[in-house]
Amino acid sequence: MASEERAPRPLGDLERLVMERLWAAPEALTVREVHEQLARTRELAYTTVMTVLDRLAKKKLTERERDGKAWRYRAAAPREEMAAGLMRDALDRAGDRREALVRFVGQVSDEEAALLREALAQLDGKEPAG
Amino acid sequence: MTAAVLLAVLALVLTGPAPALLARSDWPYRVPRAAVILWQAIALAAVLAALGSGIALSYSIAGRPGEPRFDPSSPRDLLAAVILAMVALVVVRLLWAIGRVAVGTRARRRRHRDLVDVLATPDGLIPGLRVLAEETPLAYCLPALRGARVVVSVGALDRLDDSELKAVLAHEQAHLRARHDLVLEEFTALHHAFPRWVRSDVALEQARTLVELLADDDARRRNGPRPLARALVALAGAPAPEAALAAAKSATVLRVQRLAGPPANEPTLSAITYAAAAALLVVPTITVAAPIVKAIVDAVS
Repeated sequence: MASEERAPRPLGDLERLVMERLWAAPEALTVREVHEQLARTRELAYTTVMTVLDRLAKKKLTERERDGKAWRYRAAAPREEMAAGLMRDALDRAGDRREALVRFVGQVSDEEAALLREALAQLDGKEPAG
Repeated sequence: MTAAVLLAVLALVLTGPAPALLARSDWPYRVPRAAVILWQAIALAAVLAALGSGIALSYSIAGRPGEPRFDPSSPRDLLAAVILAMVALVVVRLLWAIGRVAVGTRARRRRHRDLVDVLATPDGLIPGLRVLAEETPLAYCLPALRGARVVVSVGALDRLDDSELKAVLAHEQAHLRARHDLVLEEFTALHHAFPRWVRSDVALEQARTLVELLADDDARRRNGPRPLARALVALAGAPAPEAALAAAKSATVLRVQRLAGPPANEPTLSAITYAAAAALLVVPTITVAAPIVKAIVDAVS
């Protein structure tokens, strides 16, 4: 990861790994438990895990509760639920008119799909140009 | 009074017939860059003309040479003040809409990016690329000053070969580089700023199409027209489970047909379009500014 030319987001990548741990866990995890799980496969400071969990809580991707002196973290929603929400937003099904993201192409009707194939055939039938 | 009427007519023409006519024309698609500028000029000129009309009306009601001072006992002066206040209200409403759209768009985008970052896997092919484990074919970008993302679903990757994927990524990167989202944001704000009976979707829809053409042109210059056209057909024609079809006539057919033709090269048409955009902005500005400048000059001399 560090060898990547543009990798200024080591924490961002960790966020994903931490979320995966939380999603997989049957119950809320402490920082120590998350750290133990992640430290098996990589060198990782305890405080880094703490920072990441804190950031995830601020982003409302996790919820936390007191357990004695420690915080216990759980994912704010199951993975499938978050993924469904993401897709709903990406496909603009919420009816939000704000231009948050720019899609490559929308879906077309069967009629238009036929016109598209026609136009493509026209392009493929020609000598390379442009 | 003449200035006020002329400006009001100009504002009405620029909100109704002019956009409708332009949206029905094909030539703007041959010069998308200039056409985006022209649409922006039309929108801005319509606003300026409407405001200018109010200001000019107010001046012509209150304005008696040599009596620049406001007199609260004069009904004429009061009416003039009310008109000016209404102009100010329109300005405030417009600024409010711009602010709300800017804040709302960024909040939605930030939330979406947070979700993408924990749900999708980074891919080193281009900076900011994330691959989403979803079957629905989908490719889009999340613009940002820093940390922009290009998101592609596994369903899309399955339908694209290597060159087609490159074309899609080049298209999305063109959006991100040129910050096309800011253009769309302007028109969204303008759309929200005005009451239902004067606003229309035409400008926003056209702006959407034109920025797609601009990104297509960029991708075409890099990889040629074929991979991009194939990618468009592959992703648009793919059966999407439970996806809501775009009700409006989509720009996709136009985009593919355009890629089948020779690359657009219309310096003259482009120059005329730019000139029209400049003229649109100059005319209302001069009309509003001229009487004020003249009054100042008169007062000084």
